[in-house]
Amino acid sequence: MISALIGFVIITISVMAQMAIVRYLPLLNGSADLVLVVLSAWALHERSEGVWIWALIAGILTGFISAMPFYVPLISYLVIVWVASLLRSRVWQSPILAMFVTVFIGTLFFHLLTIFALQFLQQISIGWQESLNLVTIPSLVLNLLLTLPFYVVLTDLAGWFYPAEVE
Amino acid sequence: MKAYTPQPLHIVLVILVVTGIILVSLGGYLGPALGVATEPLVAAQTWLSARYQVVYEFLTVPRDVASLRQRNAELENENAHLQTQVIELQQQIKEAQVLYALLDFARSRPASQYVAAAVIGRDPSPFLHYIIIDHGSDDGLRHGMPVVTDQGLVGRVDAVTAGAARVQLISDPSSTVNIDLKNAQTSALAVGSLTGDVVLDLVPQDIVLEPGDLILTSGLGGAYPADVMVGQVTSVRKRETGLFQSGSVQPAVDFANLRAVLIIVNFRPVDIEPLIPTQAP
Repeated sequence: MISALIGFVIITISVMAQMAIVRYLPLLNGSADLVLVVLSAWALHERSEGVWIWALIAGILTGFISAMPFYVPLISYLVIVWVASLLRSRVWQSPILAMFVTVFIGTLFFHLLTIFALQFLQQISIGWQESLNLVTIPSLVLNLLLTLPFYVVLTDLAGWFYPAEVE
Repeated sequence: MKAYTPQPLHIVLVILVVTGIILVSLGGYLGPALGVATEPLVAAQTWLSARYQVVYEFLTVPRDVASLRQRNAELENENAHLQTQVIELQQQIKEAQVLYALLDFARSRPASQYVAAAVIGRDPSPFLHYIIIDHGSDDGLRHGMPVVTDQGLVGRVDAVTAGAARVQLISDPSSTVNIDLKNAQTSALAVGSLTGDVVLDLVPQDIVLEPGDLILTSGLGGAYPADVMVGQVTSVRKRETGLFQSGSVQPAVDFANLRAVLIIVNFRPVDIEPLIPTQAP
């Protein structure tokens, strides 16, 4: 319950910052996805809890605000958390590497799903090559730039909420 | 005890000495002698004064440093406060300028009723060109209402909640606006794109398009009111084999720096979708 509450607050702040700040700092036509980075960092922390609820909150909130199809952010954020959970159990010795991999895969998946949904389901004419060159790759670069600072901040935050047990 | 009584000789002697000193002084011969006599005194006085100053500062300066630090902190605090006020006032001036421009625009078109709204964000997805405004259905906003600024057409209301609304910009890839080319006296389409550029499409081949031609809404289709400025033609692409020619449009509105917009609330968009024939399976 506390985890869901923390998640709601942090994800809400992230979505607000995404709309009011991050979207005004583009690289070509791409922009960073603060929610994706925050979610990845939280999901990779070993003591963090309720990360699936965080993904649900992020998906519902973004789907509600954005004009893209509702299911795109919902599915994408759940997949990102699933990838992070897989990597957490396998690449536990170098979580920062897992964070970079999660953000990389997550961004690609999110954008490919968005392009697919817009082009084939909503019949909006956006070219694959143009989308990848002008939106996806710049967004990927920005997301990877945000990865390290947000990993540090979210790790500290997770350690604060879920302190290590002293034996 | 025997009282001392000055003798006349002593008095005369004293008067003579005093008169002599005065005369020597008036003659200017006393200065060097006095200088030699006072030099050690001045040096002693200087030494004593310097030592006193050191002791005085030792006793009083720590208190002064503390008070100066406190005063400095107060002044820094006041300075920060004033700087904040300056920034706030500059912000208010900018907002006021935007609102004055919108007000002028609204006054110039008394037939339309406007609701002014501030832009509070953009769509989280970089693939879409939408803005979020701080007015919603509580303020009379409805789906499809046109959104403008003093410069020209912005887009239309796409989704509404009680206190906010999402506006689709004319630069969005799914946006299409029926337009009139003012100089060419013909209708065409202004279509958005992924990059946020607006493209001119479906212009007949026999029309002469020139860069700089003004583009206004035509009102066809019922989605937007007529004669709202959309932008200017910047370049023309004409192929001999094509059915139509196309071109690039410089929108009249700077979407990157959009701070406030006007929603035309007395315009009811017409939904012509049921009239569009569908292909039989």
